[in-house]
Amino acid sequence: MADEKKNVAVFLCRGCDIGAALDIEALEKVAREERSVSVCRSHPFLCGDEGVAQIKESVQSGVTSLVVAACSGRFHSQTFASDSCFVERVNLRELVVWSHEPGNEDTQMLAEDNLRMGMARALKAEMREPAKLAAEPTILVVGGGPSGMAAARDASRAGFRVVLVEKEADLGGWLRTFKRQFPKSAPYRDLESIDLDRQIRELENDPNIQIYRSAAINSISGQPGQFEIELEVNGSAIQTKAGAIVQATGWKPYDASRLGHLGYGRSPDVITNVEMERLSATGKIHRPSDGRPPKRIAFIQCAGSRDQAHLPYCSAVCCRASLKQALWARELDPEVETYIFYKDIRTPAQSEDFYRRAQEDPGISMLKGDVVSVAAADAGSREPLRVNVENTLLGPSIAVEADLVVLATGMVPVAADGEVIRNLRDAKAIINKGEQGPQLDAARQLIADRGHLEGTDLLHLTYRQGPDLPVLNNGFPDSHFICFPYETRRTGIYAAGCMRAPNDIEGCIADAQGAVLKAIQCIELTARGATLHPRWEDRTVPDFQMQRCTQCKRCTEECPFGSLDEDQKGTPLPNPGRCRRCGICLGACPERIISFGDYSIDVISSMIKAVKVPDEFEEKPRLLVLACENDALPALEAAGVARLRYSPFVRVIPVRCLGAVNVIWIADALARGFDGILLLGCKSGDDYQCHFIRGSELMGTRSENIRQKLVQLALEEERVRIEQIALSDYQRLPALIDEFAAQIEEIGLNPFKG
Amino acid sequence: MTAIPTPAAVQPDRGFRNRLIASGGEDLKKCFQCATCSVVCELSTARQPFPRKEMLWAQWGLKDRLLADVDIWLCHHCNDCTSRCPRGARPGDVMAAVRREAILHYSAPQWLGNCVSQPHCLPFLLLLPCVLLGLVAWGSRPLEKLFAASTSSNRIIISYWSQLPQWLLIAFFATLVLLDAVVIILGVSRFWRDLNARGQAMGFADNREHEKQSIAASIRTTLRNILLHEDFDRCTFNHPRMNSHRFVLFGFVGLLVVDLWVLTVRFNPLLKDAFVYPFNFWSPWKILANLAGGAMLLGCSLMVRDRTVHSTPAGTLYEGTLFKGTLFKGTLFKGTWFDWMFLGLALATVLTGFGCEILHYARVDPLRYMVYVVHLATVFALIVLLPYSKFAHMIYRATAMVYAAHTGRQRQGGPSEFE
Repeated sequence: MADEKKNVAVFLCRGCDIGAALDIEALEKVAREERSVSVCRSHPFLCGDEGVAQIKESVQSGVTSLVVAACSGRFHSQTFASDSCFVERVNLRELVVWSHEPGNEDTQMLAEDNLRMGMARALKAEMREPAKLAAEPTILVVGGGPSGMAAARDASRAGFRVVLVEKEADLGGWLRTFKRQFPKSAPYRDLESIDLDRQIRELENDPNIQIYRSAAINSISGQPGQFEIELEVNGSAIQTKAGAIVQATGWKPYDASRLGHLGYGRSPDVITNVEMERLSATGKIHRPSDGRPPKRIAFIQCAGSRDQAHLPYCSAVCCRASLKQALWARELDPEVETYIFYKDIRTPAQSEDFYRRAQEDPGISMLKGDVVSVAAADAGSREPLRVNVENTLLGPSIAVEADLVVLATGMVPVAADGEVIRNLRDAKAIINKGEQGPQLDAARQLIADRGHLEGTDLLHLTYRQGPDLPVLNNGFPDSHFICFPYETRRTGIYAAGCMRAPNDIEGCIADAQGAVLKAIQCIELTARGATLHPRWEDRTVPDFQMQRCTQCKRCTEECPFGSLDEDQKGTPLPNPGRCRRCGICLGACPERIISFGDYSIDVISSMIKAVKVPDEFEEKPRLLVLACENDALPALEAAGVARLRYSPFVRVIPVRCLGAVNVIWIADALARGFDGILLLGCKSGDDYQCHFIRGSELMGTRSENIRQKLVQLALEEERVRIEQIALSDYQRLPALIDEFAAQIEEIGLNPFKG
Repeated sequence: MTAIPTPAAVQPDRGFRNRLIASGGEDLKKCFQCATCSVVCELSTARQPFPRKEMLWAQWGLKDRLLADVDIWLCHHCNDCTSRCPRGARPGDVMAAVRREAILHYSAPQWLGNCVSQPHCLPFLLLLPCVLLGLVAWGSRPLEKLFAASTSSNRIIISYWSQLPQWLLIAFFATLVLLDAVVIILGVSRFWRDLNARGQAMGFADNREHEKQSIAASIRTTLRNILLHEDFDRCTFNHPRMNSHRFVLFGFVGLLVVDLWVLTVRFNPLLKDAFVYPFNFWSPWKILANLAGGAMLLGCSLMVRDRTVHSTPAGTLYEGTLFKGTLFKGTLFKGTWFDWMFLGLALATVLTGFGCEILHYARVDPLRYMVYVVHLATVFALIVLLPYSKFAHMIYRATAMVYAAHTGRQRQGGPSEFE
């Protein structure tokens, strides 16, 4: 197709053992004779000034595509980068000479095939115009608690305009309830006060910050750089724009009415830590039942937390909150005795000193154990409450009397489950349309199970995949993956504070900074037509050949970022600003109408076909490895860096994600004569490591298609294997590859050779 | 389905806890139950080891458990635990504070115990015998004659008995000893009863039969242990303590033997004629008394050094450990009033005893008589305080050690550990 217009130059590096291990002249011959390249040169160390100058010279002389056969593309990416020219990096170092026997025939064949694949790509790849969007330099901050206030302040300091939306009549969030906080500064021993008014004044006096109080969001549409927002403030609608959004909607306490076994609701003297905060703020603690000052206060940690029946997670602050409240109660009344029953006292970092402070107070006694129940006497009785604790060091089952019991309840994120709300809407539509069959039953079941979530929308996104962020574990919308904090599954919308993860105020402020930085990156990269994490700076754009679209909606549904909306008929409506260039739509599309300039069905197929497969009599099998570029490929390269050896019969093609693998490539490879195909991707499941959240999971579901394809071709199922690889797995990779190669050898060669 | 056990009521006693804090256990709240103490203690037991559980009981003020706890007495306060405690909670000192409470609890009447254990009682205790003896002496003879007789004397050996009526001294001290005996018998029987009740609760009754010993055998084991200092010998951090205690104990026993001989031999019709008192300087009894006094003086001096020299011993466990020099500050032992009073009285007794002897041989008049009176006062205080001071540790610790042997409470590292 595009071959004729291309002017390809090949540069071979002989440095880093490449020249010693390979026959460079033979490689040059491959480039010259098999493809019509205009320039083919080698250099002892291409990354030096001289080598770079040679490359520049050739670019100026009209070369359109460069093939740099040297080290991994993860090194010297800037050295060999070019604005006007497509650059393909062929890895001869980590994947060839460092991981295979030097001077060996098979190693040479591997290098030659890698070069052929690189040239094939260079000939096929297109340079398309990036989708630059006019990005609005404004950040919408949803929520005016400590996280939202910090986000607004930091965004303004960084020179961005801020729209701060708070649903209450005033800013501050929970800080308006908390009069004292556990220590934030050295020596981390004393309770501190909170100067909320000063913080609010600072925001009010900032001309960059527009604050809307008693406000709600009516709708958010558009895409990063160009979000169109309609607010409702005191009954009137206000239109505004933003380039990115920080959601800091905070937390609410866990519903203590579910903690009846701990006496909540059965005795007025069993209260939550939030109620204790209000009680302490009055300056004198009175028992709710009779107004008398309690003499013995029991704190029950993890009340409904770290408990599979309630919140399975730790809310991070309850331990320090109870230590604070115990010290505060002792300060208000030195005669008070306090008991703290805990699973573990969690006081991270310098809070250890605060823990010691509380521990040294003679009136604070702590005990590790499981509180199984709080026995409350009948109403009107003067009997004290009895806290029953098991598995303690004071005995397997003990009872301690108390006048007041404080339940340290955890945090529940204030976040709507966008996917469920959308499914509820779809279910209603199914019922309204009068459809019959299993779909109707499923719709009814969903409404019965999750109907209470209807109308909980916060962001009111006009996205096809739902009006709010999809939630992941435990109702938190954060991607919860260690590598990308603040990221959510909606590009340009970042989570901060306790709706992202339970946190203390300091942590919320740090979160706000992180989320604001992400928002700024989003605005700036969107304006340049480049995407965000993890394909930073990628300017390719997916192209949809809409005339061939069958409205199967697979791309709309499978996009992990909800980047596609759809029209009435179900035709996808792309939003390039929301796109993260993962290629999962390309992997999904049965019509194969989606392509990127350098990553399309044709480009990868051409690479597969460029491999020279020896005929069956040579007894040299060929194994195709489609390796996810995020973890599997770096792991392969790490194995090379560690000089680990594995079968030289593998041919590695990096893919954007396992989800971005179209099944046609597997058919192509088998038809070409490859004997086995290894798909290396990231871990899927609840604690996934897939950088595009669902890619490796989708490959799992598509593997059924692959199986059918193999059956069609009368080939063994074992010829295609999917493996999940973490970066740290590099040491087990060679054994895995060799074991696969041995298995393929046992099965025998692919009958479709030649 | 197993029956749900009734939860044991835990009633914290803040007064008790605060007393522990005030009498040497001021760091007890720092414990966070890491169990390092129980692991490093050479004397701890294989099951339900101490002092970890005692630290938690102390934090919660669980008086009943602590007072009847046999383990507080198995502890010999060598501070292996304190030296290794990562939080500086000084478990060894907390155990000592608990023992003080136990002594005061079991030695009736408690008000007397509480009273005599106060610092402000000491002058009264010391003055009382002086006044009493002085009054009696004054009443029995004219005062000037008392001193004149002594000043005019040029004999080398003077019978002290001639200065104070011997019947008075014997009657005076014998009464006190009898009172002590009553208090101790009552205290020990209550203690033994509580040990049994507590031992049942802790499951010592379930210990294997072959580990248990008869009372007689337990007493033999315990006596052997005490005389040979077997337990002291297992301490590592402050092993030299074994010798100071040995000197004091053997000195005390030696002096006790001489005293008992002197007191009883006069009433022994067989030996009455053979007995010559005062002793000649080279009499075997005199030599034994001097040696015993010297041992006690040496032991007490070493104990004072232990409590006053501010440093961790060089070349000991601290070298190269994580906690080097950060947590264990000050002396090996934190001297409390309870501890100092007993040590001080013992030291005063032996010093005044030697003082008398030297002044007597030097014929320094009337100082030797005055010192003698002070000596008698310290002996009086020691005897009166026996059930209420640290002196009582010999009674309760011995009882507890007998109980432990009797019930088969095994040391860690003993045969039961790896079964």
